[in-house]
Amino acid sequence: MSTDAPMGAHGGLRAERLTVRYGGVTANADVDLDVRPGEIVGLIGPNGAGKTTFVDAVTGFTRSEGSVTLDGERIDALRPHERRRRGLSRTWQSGELFGNLTVRENVAVATRPGGVGTLFRDIFWPRRRSDGSVDRALSLVGLGDEADRLARDLSLGQQKLVGVARALVGTCKLLLLDEPAAGLDSAESLEFATRLRTIVREQGAGALLIDHDMSLVLGVCDRVFVLEFGKLIFSGTPDEARTDQAVVAAYLGVPMENADA
Amino acid sequence: MDTYLQFVILGLGLGAVYVALGNGLVLVYRATGIINFAQGAMAMWGAYVFAQLRLDGSLVLPVGRIQLGAGPTSVAVSLVVALLTAVALGLLAHYLVFRPVRHAPALAQVVVSVALMLSLQALVVIRFGPNNISVESIIEPGSIDLFGVTVSSRELKMVGVMLVLSVLVWAYFRFTRAGVATRAAAENERGATLRGFSPDRLAALALVMANVVGTVGVILASSLTGLNPSNYTLLVVPALAVLLVARMESIGTVFVASLALGAFQSVINLLVLKPWWPTWAQSGIEQVVPFLVVVVILFAFGSRLPSRGSLQTIPLPDVHIPRLRPVAGTVVLAVTVVLLVVTRDAYRFGLTYSIILTLVALSYVVITGYLGQISLAQTAFAGAAGFTLSKVTTDWDMPFLLAVLLCSVVAALLGMIVALPAFRIRGAQLAIVTIAASLAIERFVFNNYSLTPPSGNPIADPHLFGMNLAVREGATLSRLSFSLMVLVVVTLVIVAFVRLASGDTGRAFLAVRANERAAASVGIDVRQTKLIGFGVSAFIAGLAGCLIGYSAGQLSAESFSVFVGLQILAVTYLGGITSWGGAAVAGVIGPLGIIYVLFHDLFEMGDYYALVSGLALILTAILNPVGIAGATRSQIDWVRRRIGGGRSPAARESAGAAADDAPIDLREVSDVH
Repeated sequence: MSTDAPMGAHGGLRAERLTVRYGGVTANADVDLDVRPGEIVGLIGPNGAGKTTFVDAVTGFTRSEGSVTLDGERIDALRPHERRRRGLSRTWQSGELFGNLTVRENVAVATRPGGVGTLFRDIFWPRRRSDGSVDRALSLVGLGDEADRLARDLSLGQQKLVGVARALVGTCKLLLLDEPAAGLDSAESLEFATRLRTIVREQGAGALLIDHDMSLVLGVCDRVFVLEFGKLIFSGTPDEARTDQAVVAAYLGVPMENADA
Repeated sequence: MDTYLQFVILGLGLGAVYVALGNGLVLVYRATGIINFAQGAMAMWGAYVFAQLRLDGSLVLPVGRIQLGAGPTSVAVSLVVALLTAVALGLLAHYLVFRPVRHAPALAQVVVSVALMLSLQALVVIRFGPNNISVESIIEPGSIDLFGVTVSSRELKMVGVMLVLSVLVWAYFRFTRAGVATRAAAENERGATLRGFSPDRLAALALVMANVVGTVGVILASSLTGLNPSNYTLLVVPALAVLLVARMESIGTVFVASLALGAFQSVINLLVLKPWWPTWAQSGIEQVVPFLVVVVILFAFGSRLPSRGSLQTIPLPDVHIPRLRPVAGTVVLAVTVVLLVVTRDAYRFGLTYSIILTLVALSYVVITGYLGQISLAQTAFAGAAGFTLSKVTTDWDMPFLLAVLLCSVVAALLGMIVALPAFRIRGAQLAIVTIAASLAIERFVFNNYSLTPPSGNPIADPHLFGMNLAVREGATLSRLSFSLMVLVVVTLVIVAFVRLASGDTGRAFLAVRANERAAASVGIDVRQTKLIGFGVSAFIAGLAGCLIGYSAGQLSAESFSVFVGLQILAVTYLGGITSWGGAAVAGVIGPLGIIYVLFHDLFEMGDYYALVSGLALILTAILNPVGIAGATRSQIDWVRRRIGGGRSPAARESAGAAADDAPIDLREVSDVH
């Protein structure tokens, strides 16, 4: 829709010249990427292209060069939890839930992450922890009925959805989703796409979606970025991506034309 | 300059022991991924066997003894028998102790090796006696000229022996198929299996070699210093520092770093006698050195140390979120009060001490059970508070409550300093740092005569609102008012703990325990959370330290030694390290607690207490990681299910089965930058 808007100051996430090196390997090279509020942006690329590295770098889990801004504020010097508290949330490819906590506690921990004040409040002025936002987030991802189960007892697909709920609660301006639909079948994947649309619309947040499911990414995203060997080789609309020579070459063998669901 | 060289050479003798133990630590770590805190204690057993054979020709076994000859056995025979003992002990340790926990979480592995260390030390005290025994030297004392200085030749020969043994260990890793397979197994157990080696046999072999090398080292060194059950057990601490310097793998670095550390400690002992050296820093400084070495190494290389343990994701014992139950709580309190009223003297004191120990155990529950950090320094925090208490009550006349609060805050601050290394490391490596810190504090502060005079540090009796809360008065050894004061304090702390554990703080602790980077990704400040956890836990330990101080009327270093700390960790793990109920069980069975008093008075088996608790701990860690309190609760849950058929929260105890069939997740767990 607004892909040709000027690259001036705007809300949302903007990464500029983001570079990540592991020893001699450059996992991300000068990646420029932006996600605006209310927009779903896809990040695709073959295995090992550096997609997860990009998410790790933006959220502060790996050292990087270049700049990252969220709603106009530079955040690349902040530690991961500080970026999260400013509204930059992520999910993990492997779920990474707190297996020994219930689903509800997994989500609730993101709303009140503790601290010195919390410590004294817990001891001297304990309060009941019924917060509607947790249950709302769980029902948004369709897991309202699983709230009291232990996280490790869920299937991997469900665990990833708990991860999405955990990323949504509290301040969430921008959602980075690392393969949230891997492990879901195509019907569930479609359902997830619908939910993601609803979430973005209701919260007014932006989302960056990484997934191998082409039909999901090209179907739900407003814009798409394509990474190969750590370099950005394409950015544009899903329709442009389907016909772009470089993208098709990177995905040789994947029938892009048929990917439209 | 001459004197310095002589001291350097003398220090090499100590360094040679570090070489021996360090080689053993590397062997065991590379073959099993376990850091063997019992390395010193294991090596000490063979050295004792040797010494006894040389003394009267009797081979002392854990039970019974065999007379090998009428008089002292020859050096050669004694040595062979001692080394065969070492082989047997290595095999036993592998099959009975380490093998069962090879896939267990780091905590269980640390606990098991600490338990083995405590058991062996207790066994040495029972079988050979607690006192220093002198040992005849195998290597003739002598002297040679080195750069024009006459130095002792014995230490140089020891270094020579250790050099040969180190080269052999190095060659084993480098050239033998088994050694190469062991290195491969450290990377990937399946890889070694594919090469046709059973990782299990390789581990057994490594434990045997480790213990033989260690035993040779201790036998050689014992002729310099004599044998003493606690010293040689704790020599593992500097050797652990060396292990970290060697990045858990390099035999060459072990050799060089050990000798350097030994020489440095020796020279430090010379330097402290210089007039410019401050008097207060004279004693124990040589133990501060290994601690500083560890800290510097970890800060410089912490993130690059291999952390094999972190690949294992089988969880710690699960946590049952506690709730305040006013009725049940009142009943427990009432029963305790009745018991305190009807008992007197030694038994009332034992009960009271049990209640105090509950606090120390609770500090382990906070730091290890909830936050997942292994701290072996809790009694050092307690001792720091007790030490401060002595100063503020006698020098400043500070009133009771204020003094206790202030001293516990001091402990909390110390805890937060010790927490700093935990930013970079976790698991067994953190255990190394904290035990080194604990030993440094013990030797440098508690046993420092310029800070702690031999006459002791008296602590003024507590008074509150005109009530005398002193533990003794006239002929009464254990006053009820003191016991009730202790009960009130401990009850308040438990209530605060339950609120904290069931609140947002407890949940954040558990999140950090489960997965640090996921915790950071939901907005938890992991470092701050660790600081808070160490602070709270050290505060609780500090309260306990104050109460221990009041209970004795003065501060004694023995109450806060490294061994006492390890014993309390042991009983806490036994009781159940994830609940306050477990802490209460730990209090009951802990050292100087009521069960200990019964052991001592009824059965006259005080010596066996340490051995029994050590062995019980090994069994607990292997069979039942949730501890006594957890096991009791799952039984109650089982009964409830049978009777009521309703749902029960038993699911949370299910991790009690740290079973082999649990999925092992091989994904990388990377550090949070």
